[in-house]
Amino acid sequence: MTETLLDIAMMHSDALVGRAREGDKNAQGKLVQLWYKRIYNFSYKFFFDHDMAMEVSQKTFISMHKNMEGLQEVNRFRSWLYTIAVNYCREELRKKKTRRSISLHDLRPGESEESYRWEASSSRSENPEKQLRQSELSDLLQQCLMELSDEQREVVIMKEYEGLKFREIAEALQISENTVKSRMYYGLDGLKKILESKNITKETIGYEL
Amino acid sequence: MNYKPDESTLIAYLYDELDAKEVEKVQEYLNRNPEVLKKLLGLNEVKNVLSHAGDQEVIAPPIFMDSTSHASRFWQSGYFKTVMSIAASILFLLVAARLIGPEISYSGGELRISFSGNKKIEKPIEQVVTPLVSPDEVQNMINASLIKNNEQISSEWENNNKKLQASLRRNLSNNSEKIDELMKVASQASQDQVRTFVASLQQDNLQLMKDYMQLSAKDQKTYVESLLMDFSKYLQEQRKQDLVLFQTRMSSIEKNTDQFKQETEQILANIISNPEGALKRVNNY
Repeated sequence: MTETLLDIAMMHSDALVGRAREGDKNAQGKLVQLWYKRIYNFSYKFFFDHDMAMEVSQKTFISMHKNMEGLQEVNRFRSWLYTIAVNYCREELRKKKTRRSISLHDLRPGESEESYRWEASSSRSENPEKQLRQSELSDLLQQCLMELSDEQREVVIMKEYEGLKFREIAEALQISENTVKSRMYYGLDGLKKILESKNITKETIGYEL
Repeated sequence: MNYKPDESTLIAYLYDELDAKEVEKVQEYLNRNPEVLKKLLGLNEVKNVLSHAGDQEVIAPPIFMDSTSHASRFWQSGYFKTVMSIAASILFLLVAARLIGPEISYSGGELRISFSGNKKIEKPIEQVVTPLVSPDEVQNMINASLIKNNEQISSEWENNNKKLQASLRRNLSNNSEKIDELMKVASQASQDQVRTFVASLQQDNLQLMKDYMQLSAKDQKTYVESLLMDFSKYLQEQRKQDLVLFQTRMSSIEKNTDQFKQETEQILANIISNPEGALKRVNNY
């Protein structure tokens, strides 16, 4: 995966975190700008729902703003932020299970909601056909992810898409590193079976794109 | 060498999170166990496939943080609210009790709740029922009815049996007569009749073949027609898809323009909300 300027900035945000912890509002605002996309994407992949991902992202950053002073170590900011996000994801999941309602966005995820599509900025110069196929493939892979258990899904997303180390995931989920690795192993194994059942392989993807 | 890495070690190896010593050990183990290597390669392929699900683009909303923290008031605290709600409920009950005037009494294992005054409840009067028929008489009546019923059933059964036997005999005699007649007709059939029968069979077959050929020719015609129809449909579909593609590109351009507008608005909003920072940046240039 190629690193963008944003990724590099995120990796070297210790000074910013330090200032934010001391109450610098400007630094806190910059942290939000840096990490918003990551937390949104983590939540989106967890729920496959734009509205819930927005909800969790906003709650996470409000909580970050309130509890920034309680952050013990600056270099643990990343796992600390994901701990907050995971907790809100679990809370939303519990609410969703008790509500048992279907959002209109769930009926055709990624298509019915036009309001946030304008936000797609990276694909400006891409071929529209390729863009369409990429979006369909993303949705398909997302559906496969949704078939995993919640525990396996959160580990797979954190490792595969958020690029956290196993140690950081263990810190964020407050479990042992071996449990994280075990969940990852069985999560990937489960995904392999799901992908095979849907006939999604490296070859079929190459043909599609 | 009986080293066997567990799943945790294998997954750490897959994500390159093992130290050099451990990596060497795992590699040796994988060289000796091709089935484990195959499994690991399968997981690696899943990783590759998963990497095709890209990120959703989203722009962080502008954040306005309130620097002045408001201390929560005493009457806004949860405990105060709980106590007040209990007090309000009790007050409501007292007022309701005053207005309705309920009376609650307990005497002789009986709890009475009444509103506005005590009313006496009259007990229902029990009626003594004297039986009209004795048990022996009832038993006799049942026995008599059973005997009568049994007699009726046995007489009906005998009648039915007789009728069944008679009908069987009649059918047997009829069938044997018919078979005799058929045998007589079959023996009387001449050689000419057989020939005509065979000739008619041949004619029927000829007709069948003709019909079949005509039908297959018709089928081929319809097949070619449908082929042409499908081809024209394909052309139409192709045209439609081209149009959709064109439309997607147009909408993509439209969205990009909108987004550019939105981003510009955000930048402007930032400049407006923080003019000093913007001025500094301009001065730096």
